[in-house]
Amino acid sequence: MSLSFRSRVFVFDANVGIGNRHDRRSPFDSPDQLLEEMARHGVDRALVYSVQGEWISPMQGNDALAVLTDRNDALVPQFVAGCDSGSLRQLCDLHRDGVVSSVRLHNTAECRLPFVSWLYGDLLAWLSAEGIPLWVSLADTPPVEIVDTLSRYPDLTVVLVGAHYTHSMMIRPMMRVLPNAFLELSRYENICGIEKLVREFGARRLLYGSFFPRYAMGPMLYALHHLEISDDDLRLICAANLERVLYD
Amino acid sequence: MIDGWEIIDFHGHVGRWDIFEMSDDAEEILHAMDAVGIDRCCLFNIFHPDGATGNDQTAAFVSRYPERFIGFAYVSPLMSEFMVSELERAIDRLGFLAIKIYPPYSRWLLNDPVWDPVYQFADDRGLAIISHTGAEETCWPVYVEDIAGHYPNANFVIAHAGNSEPYRSQAIRAAQRFSNVYVETCSTFREPGVIERLVAEAGADRVLFGSDVPLMDPRTQLGKIITARIGDCEKRLVLGENARRLLKL
Repeated sequence: MSLSFRSRVFVFDANVGIGNRHDRRSPFDSPDQLLEEMARHGVDRALVYSVQGEWISPMQGNDALAVLTDRNDALVPQFVAGCDSGSLRQLCDLHRDGVVSSVRLHNTAECRLPFVSWLYGDLLAWLSAEGIPLWVSLADTPPVEIVDTLSRYPDLTVVLVGAHYTHSMMIRPMMRVLPNAFLELSRYENICGIEKLVREFGARRLLYGSFFPRYAMGPMLYALHHLEISDDDLRLICAANLERVLYD
Repeated sequence: MIDGWEIIDFHGHVGRWDIFEMSDDAEEILHAMDAVGIDRCCLFNIFHPDGATGNDQTAAFVSRYPERFIGFAYVSPLMSEFMVSELERAIDRLGFLAIKIYPPYSRWLLNDPVWDPVYQFADDRGLAIISHTGAEETCWPVYVEDIAGHYPNANFVIAHAGNSEPYRSQAIRAAQRFSNVYVETCSTFREPGVIERLVAEAGADRVLFGSDVPLMDPRTQLGKIITARIGDCEKRLVLGENARRLLKL
């Protein structure tokens, strides 16, 4: 045991926001500061979205993201989707340019929009057809809407982000109902909960994410390194599963 | 132990909370504690307003591993007629070392006179009182400023350090104003820089590591301290030395 920590495996963080929110300054708001914080914890790569895109404007956030992640191989851009046709057109254009490996749903609760197929159906059909995985935040979209809507798109790969102990009773049923769903672990703090998920579902459906800058980058990574799981499972959770979701 | 230093978790629960899959399974708690070197954990049961029912459960739980668990006494003004007598029983007969209160399970603010017998008891005995704090109006940390000065022999521990803003700033201000006020770290709000700010503004000698086990896994909550940008001396204080001093271990 030590008073310091740095990851001992390759880490690809599945959930990092960059830039300042409209109502909250990020403590690390430039790419260089983000890279420095990643290096401090031993995080090698991060899937990065614009927090402005998540909360205010997906289209402007995506434009800003291209600049923020430019020439940084450690920062892999994740584009945010809204429900309007302009947002989908932008994503289609970006996909034609070959830069879309995943898409993140905007904060539907903040926008006071229900996540239903009659609003998001075109987006979800396009993602399914193109084989692009979708990140959806349990912190920002009601679980009932997630399950009811995504059940209609069985070919879509989904990453459920930000499960919390208040979702405890829902997680396992959601993982069963959505067999293509992966679970990102940033807020999943149930006691021995990740070890139980590994035993029940296997490590291949779990992803390390920090939810930075809403959450500090280090604590969950530290916890993962102290679970009773094999090093092979740790490598899957910390990077290999995300690489498979994005690139296979 | 971490680097030869005893690690004490100041915030844990006894009892089941099924909707959150919280179960007080001693083996599971010890498994998580052992994985990161947590030596001892302070525990209380907040689900029974008579105090005695939960305190007896805590005592039974602690008795299985007395070298690993420390009992705290819980009382509630919902049954105020039992508060002082139950505190006497829990401290003198059950061997508990501090007091836990949970104002959101009542209708009274933290500075309401209904709590005074509890504060007076702690003051008379030189005990620590840990209170839940956060956005719920009954337990805003600002109310600690109204009571801490009146009970200088008691120590007031602001659980969750207020959880989020503006309550976190209230907690820090209370610790800055009164030398018998501490802030405790467990929280599901884990923004970057929280631990660093608590140490810088409240003082490293006033911050206590807590996890909320078994509602939350102590490994993540310990990770908040280990991965914070603070020095090793500060980490040792937060992780155990302050608790040892406060509990007179």
